[in-house]
Amino acid sequence: MIQIHVLEGKGFVWSYEDARRIREEFRMVGILVGALARKPRQNIRLGLPLQLLPEETRLLLELGAAKLMRPTGLQPHREDTIQAEPPPTGIAVYQQGLEQSYKEQRHLAAQERKALLDTLAEQIAQGQAKKRKKRGESADVPLQQTDLESGFVFPRESMMVQIPTERLEPGPQQELDWQAASLDWPHSGDPSHETRYRIYRDLWEQGHFVTGGTKFGGDFLVYPGDPMRYHAHYIVLCVPQQAPLPLYDVISAGRLGSNVKKTVLLCSAAADGSITYTSVQWSGMQ
Amino acid sequence: METEPPPPRKRRRHRRRLCPAELLAARKRDRKVPQRSHGQKDFIPDGSEEQAERLRLCREEHWQLLEEERVERLGSLVEAKWNAQEGIIELNSPAGKFWHTMGFTERGKQCLLPEEALYLLECGSIQLFYKDLPMSIQEAYETLLSQSTVFSHLKRLGYIVLRFRSSTVPSSYERQLNLDAHGKNSEKRPRKRKRCSSPRLQDKKAKAFEKPQDTEGTPEMESGSQPDPNHSAPDGSCLSAEKSEEPNPGEAEGDQAEATGATARCRDSEPQTGDGGEASAEVSEESSDGSRPPRWDFATITFPNVAADSPQTLLPEPDKELLPENVAGREIDTSRWRGLLNQKRERPSQKERDQRFRSSVNADKKVRRCHNWREYKALLRERSKRRAKSRPSHLWDQAVTPLVEPDRGVSTAALLQQISVLQPSHVLDGA
Repeated sequence: MIQIHVLEGKGFVWSYEDARRIREEFRMVGILVGALARKPRQNIRLGLPLQLLPEETRLLLELGAAKLMRPTGLQPHREDTIQAEPPPTGIAVYQQGLEQSYKEQRHLAAQERKALLDTLAEQIAQGQAKKRKKRGESADVPLQQTDLESGFVFPRESMMVQIPTERLEPGPQQELDWQAASLDWPHSGDPSHETRYRIYRDLWEQGHFVTGGTKFGGDFLVYPGDPMRYHAHYIVLCVPQQAPLPLYDVISAGRLGSNVKKTVLLCSAAADGSITYTSVQWSGMQ
Repeated sequence: METEPPPPRKRRRHRRRLCPAELLAARKRDRKVPQRSHGQKDFIPDGSEEQAERLRLCREEHWQLLEEERVERLGSLVEAKWNAQEGIIELNSPAGKFWHTMGFTERGKQCLLPEEALYLLECGSIQLFYKDLPMSIQEAYETLLSQSTVFSHLKRLGYIVLRFRSSTVPSSYERQLNLDAHGKNSEKRPRKRKRCSSPRLQDKKAKAFEKPQDTEGTPEMESGSQPDPNHSAPDGSCLSAEKSEEPNPGEAEGDQAEATGATARCRDSEPQTGDGGEASAEVSEESSDGSRPPRWDFATITFPNVAADSPQTLLPEPDKELLPENVAGREIDTSRWRGLLNQKRERPSQKERDQRFRSSVNADKKVRRCHNWREYKALLRERSKRRAKSRPSHLWDQAVTPLVEPDRGVSTAALLQQISVLQPSHVLDGA
């Protein structure tokens, strides 16, 4: 079961495996919003968490593939959530684990060093013999084998620690009912969300990759394959069926769409459940 | 199709806790991000092997990057503690380089705002603890705030991002007095000490010129009797924007004096419009901080003279009321300190001495007794005569007789003979 963690009305996926499944099994892309672990100070490639569109979240929930989780407790700004001190056992376990990790790392680093010395043993022996010859001593004093494990210096500061991305222990959280609008998940029942969701789901069911479309001024972008490798074909604008649509909006959307070699789709969901698609293309600009 | 529910997984949810070997191996990890060099994007999937392979490679690289966990050297992590009550993060070990552009000091501790802490946590610069346990990034997101994605984005672009404070925007009155230029200058070079020793006193000195009334609010706040809307905001936002050098406790009194002195000067130049009038309307926003009369009357407060020539070395205990509440005053004998100081006597040049000690004629009592110019001249003559008396009269009061009369033609040798002091010797003449 994929876990989607709700934070201020947005769904976040923290697990690497879940993120992978969402993309590869469910053809959903979302957007990465965290800093990339390997190179955190840049914006070109980002890392976990993966933020999902409300529509993507809802589709995963409706498919029964995911659970919506709401963290409880930790928010300090809400009253009465500042709990008493945690059981000291947790801290003790953590300290113990740290100590254990230090010992093991020390041991491993010592072994690594030993292995390195072993590979270089011949060169070291040669060098030492040369030195002794220079000093005029006899050249065949055996190489001194020092006890590496005890003499090896591995300061505590050079121990490596993990800053885990995902919560390591399951934290205080509860499953959220996404069908009822709540403070944490305000989307259900919102008419614009309902429209968008129906259009999203229809496009997705046709086998497309559908992502958020803000970068081209639309609601969604429709890709024929994984956006990693393919360009988007359509810019989706969700418009209510009966509402008047300013001509200027059609012009600007169409103009932008043809400039980026995409087709603008005006989509509306009818009351009977059918979706109407109208494609707009600028004819004079081929 | 791909959409059918996945097969139930047998193993338990895999949480990514790294084992020591993995942690150590992370030291040699590649720190470069691979460039996406899989060619141009395609227009439409055509089901070819080639396309599938390219997609696979791309995804492989993507997942590899996402799978990586942050692993840092313990020594290079700054230990930080989440203070849930106050909504700030306190640093337990000295801050790193980020201190130039982030953080503030409060009650002698280095602190961070939640968004700053979250950004630094993601960058692997700090280790965040809550209730003595380290937080994961997920917990930090859920605990601190999620609005910081914009902050993080800007930070990753390399900007210095500060919280907005209305007090950093000069009011029209401040602009009128050209005080905004000063403010800008001081913001360019944020002055911030590594370790703060006195609480809450910061911000005030530098701003004394920028915003005069502020200084008067200071003692009030320190005694904690009246919460100031500008300075006690619970989220700590008040403390972020500009950092200033905070005085040592020892200097505190002097600084206050200086600052208030500046206040007084500023107020003099300010039109005393009282109520009504343009100026008062513009100032009113600031004077809500309290434009009370100065709390201290400096005519009655004595500052001990500890100059080099001062005979007084025992300083009495300062009045408790004059000190901030956390600063303890005590009686002290400065003689020991003076021994440690460089107290070399100053040797001014003649010119300097003249300038510094130029005495007025009016200070002279006898001169003041003179009624007119003639009497004054007579006095001067008498004085010069008296001075002359101390000289031997036979040298000064007789007629001057030249050594050589010009009309007497003499040879150079004769002249030299006449004025010589040493007689030429003839010892060697007979040799």
